[in-house]
Amino acid sequence: MSAEAGSVIGESIKRIDARGKVTGETRYPGDIDIEGQLWMRIKFSERAHARVVAVDVAAAEALPGVVRVFTSLDVPVNEYGLVIKDQPVLCGPGGDKAGTDVVRCYMDMVAVAVAETDTIAKQAIALIQVHYEDLPAVFDAEEAMLASAPQLHPDCADNQVARYRIRRGDMAAGWRAADVVVEGMYETTWQEHAYLQPEAGLGYIDEANRVTVVVAGQWTHEDQEQIYHALDLPPGQVRVIYPAIGGAFGGREDMSVQIVLALAAWKLRRPVKIQWNREESIRYHHKRHPIKVRAKWGATGEGLLTAMECEVIGDAGAYNYTSNKVLGNAHLTVSGAYEVENIHIDTYAVYTNNIPSGAFRGFGAPQALLAAEGQMNRLAAALNMDPLEIRLKNSIREGSIGSVGTPFPPGVSMPQVFAACGAESWWRQGEAGWQLQAPVAPSDSSKRRGRGLAGGFKNVGFSFGFPEHCWAGIELQGSAEIERVILYHAGADVGQGAHTVLMQMAADALGVPFERVQLVASDTATSGSSGSASASRLSFMSGNAIRGAAELALRKWQDEERPAKADFMYHPPETTPFDPQTGYAEPNFAYGYVAEAVEVEVDIETGQVQLLEVVCANDVGKVINRQQLEGQIEGAIVQAQGYALMEYLVSRDGRILNPYLSTYLIPTSLDVPPRVKSVVLEYPDPIGPWGARGMAEMPFLPLAPAIAAAIYAATGVWIDSQPFTAQKVVAALRAAGIGEV
Amino acid sequence: MWPQQFDYQRADSVESALAAIGDNGKFIAGGHSLLPAMKLRLSTPDQLVDISRIDALRGITNGNGNLSIGGAATHAEIAASAAVGAACPALAQACGMVGDQAVRNFGTLGGNIAHADPASDPPTALVACGATIHIQGVDGSRSVSAQDFFVDLFETDLQDGELITSISLPDCSDCQCAYVKLPHPASRYAIVGVAVCLKMDGDTCAQADVAVGGATVKAVKCAGAAAALVGSSLDDAALSAAAAALSDDIGDWLTGDVAYPEAYRSAMAGVFLKRAISAASG
Repeated sequence: MSAEAGSVIGESIKRIDARGKVTGETRYPGDIDIEGQLWMRIKFSERAHARVVAVDVAAAEALPGVVRVFTSLDVPVNEYGLVIKDQPVLCGPGGDKAGTDVVRCYMDMVAVAVAETDTIAKQAIALIQVHYEDLPAVFDAEEAMLASAPQLHPDCADNQVARYRIRRGDMAAGWRAADVVVEGMYETTWQEHAYLQPEAGLGYIDEANRVTVVVAGQWTHEDQEQIYHALDLPPGQVRVIYPAIGGAFGGREDMSVQIVLALAAWKLRRPVKIQWNREESIRYHHKRHPIKVRAKWGATGEGLLTAMECEVIGDAGAYNYTSNKVLGNAHLTVSGAYEVENIHIDTYAVYTNNIPSGAFRGFGAPQALLAAEGQMNRLAAALNMDPLEIRLKNSIREGSIGSVGTPFPPGVSMPQVFAACGAESWWRQGEAGWQLQAPVAPSDSSKRRGRGLAGGFKNVGFSFGFPEHCWAGIELQGSAEIERVILYHAGADVGQGAHTVLMQMAADALGVPFERVQLVASDTATSGSSGSASASRLSFMSGNAIRGAAELALRKWQDEERPAKADFMYHPPETTPFDPQTGYAEPNFAYGYVAEAVEVEVDIETGQVQLLEVVCANDVGKVINRQQLEGQIEGAIVQAQGYALMEYLVSRDGRILNPYLSTYLIPTSLDVPPRVKSVVLEYPDPIGPWGARGMAEMPFLPLAPAIAAAIYAATGVWIDSQPFTAQKVVAALRAAGIGEV
Repeated sequence: MWPQQFDYQRADSVESALAAIGDNGKFIAGGHSLLPAMKLRLSTPDQLVDISRIDALRGITNGNGNLSIGGAATHAEIAASAAVGAACPALAQACGMVGDQAVRNFGTLGGNIAHADPASDPPTALVACGATIHIQGVDGSRSVSAQDFFVDLFETDLQDGELITSISLPDCSDCQCAYVKLPHPASRYAIVGVAVCLKMDGDTCAQADVAVGGATVKAVKCAGAAAALVGSSLDDAALSAAAAALSDDIGDWLTGDVAYPEAYRSAMAGVFLKRAISAASG
């Protein structure tokens, strides 16, 4: 029964939630009901951009069974937003704040109806009459930057919600030193999170008179803050509980049903439930940012980078959500994992009347790396150099100064990661250095095969001066020996297995068997703020918090306190925002490094690209739970495969045309690559718990550019616009005179 | 997703089925086209007459140069039938690509064509291979070519109260025919399906029939493409000419969606024409 200290770190401990999820016992928000609960439906905007002149709820409220219809007039402080409070809770007239009477996209909420049954609530929504005064709308980020564009927000005259610069070195000298210059334009579009569980929640008043929301999210305490702000309540009056969460991927970082549920439950003092279907989920939560990158890179004949110029324009949609942070990360990663002295970058996050863009696994890095790694692969082709060789020549390494003028935090393993990826896939090291082995040509003349490589890095934890923190509490019970450990923590298990991992770390930090650890999690009433399940931060931050709490609790245990209770708030090294003129910053305290090699088969007649094999080298610092870690790698690769090849969200004038999984196609078991090889590297992060880094976003990042490189290797054609759908590939091939029948 | 309320009865003969159908009834065999339409309320019959156990509708026979398939023969039976495989491989292939095995075990050829889903596979093979649809109503029986049977999107020549009793095809043992398709990644329905039926005289194509479905609102017979193949040795130049003619043949009937627009489907029709010819010749 007893285990040696440290023995559970790295073990594939079975997930604590496995049995319930496999048997169907686990309850997700949609499965939870309270007797006597009311049902809520939401009246969403019917315009992309319009002033709401009046909301007529008389007919809806007259419908038998309708308890109440809420509008803008009922919201105490009619604003919310994760970073900037720029979105009305309910759009409509009567507010103190300018602009709360304007809908700016089709996912804005105008009213909510609460009724005795869901059917009646739905009928009530149809009876609500909204009178709009149309406003000119803009659906393209570059158009929205023009002086002639309509202004979306009263306090943002140029629609640029964020603007960053990097100015470093001597650009003229950089271009002079270049023997070769490559230019590219890279475009990405929206991606839907497509988590298994559509939005749902339950609001009620708990035994301590707190308005309580049971919902799926990523950060209980941030949900709590946005709710109490809008309801104008003291923090202690609001409670947020996460039951099982059916996936998140960044899509639950921002509010969906939380505030309106709390509003209705608080005003009516009755339980209120809401459940979205798949179409509503796709229509009414944010998406990954469409980003356009123009890039010009120069290098010497030996392949050393001399200068880099990039412009990055991101479509924020109608509200900021996390756009200023996402574009900040794109700004930081668009130069790739490379050293260059002369660099000039301009980045913009721009409001439009499209659906808001926000957090999604990778947080701006997948878009930026499509450009950076596309540029690197073009340089390799232009110089006839091996793509791994040219990367190793330019890769950041320990002590490297980043684009922002400061060294990367200690523990840089990028060259080792690139080399491991090459060695574990199709590169052989010879006298001329690393060389890619070409794949066997298929016998079918309509098929071509190619191999490609890309890599990159991603911050672990929140960046740019955010007061990053993570709380953990530990209670030790027993007399002679520790018989039971209760770990208190707010971190969200969004399906990634975090709760099991937290318990493994607690067991190891306390030197007790895993079986003695119990977890009380994800309830603002029992925990301090542990921060978000995002930015690949939860294992890193929680591990340090748990270690701190364990140390304090063990000290009390030795002092004979029974039970011995302690809590600890971990703060990592401070970071700083970009300097507005030069971009100088210490943006992050830790990174994870990744590289991927892929083999694809292109049908040159149909444009279909089949992903045959992926080799992913991921420096995770230290494995905590190997099975969960490999699951994260494989899951990220499949999600990135959908991003690269299949997932095409069509929006016309701000309205999504394919809000169904029958027309918005994500990979299924028939699509996933037959072979995924996880090359797990353990170069410790000096400040990571047990040396661990974050890892869950990283395998997503380089897949699309690696596939683009493989398509080029197979066909000689660059595809720079994501997703690489069959019709785009066919168009590019035909333009090059390839594959015509 | 609930159908409107309806009555159900099982018929034991064609005559009793026709007598029972009434003004707003529907025949049901496998139900794999009808039931989804009823759940979506695109079809709202007040009565279903089950014809799946009428022996006269079930057989597959091959004699006197004529292959005859009962209207209630299942896709699985047709796909596995040695007689169909010998006389018209394209139809066996098309029926073998409908849905999955469970769907093919229940779904019938008569039911499939009666609903005329544009992305379905068998209609394309039937049109290319010159099938005849045999229809019976209370006032008598009639026959119509597959080409004329398919009128438009979900629209056929079948009149209210009429029943498809059988589908016949000329025995094509001396032809080479094939059906190939580009399946939709989610549904496996045809984004484009192409059937060809070729008669070769040595290395020269003496006769050709071509049909396209999936890319079009109905299975379309493509005379231009066929003409480009006849007299050729099916060389690359002839295939290119046929592909070019094919886009004219289907131009008026093209359909598309956000993921697979018309232009892509049109281009793929040419690609799959080539692949169908290759499959037929192989």
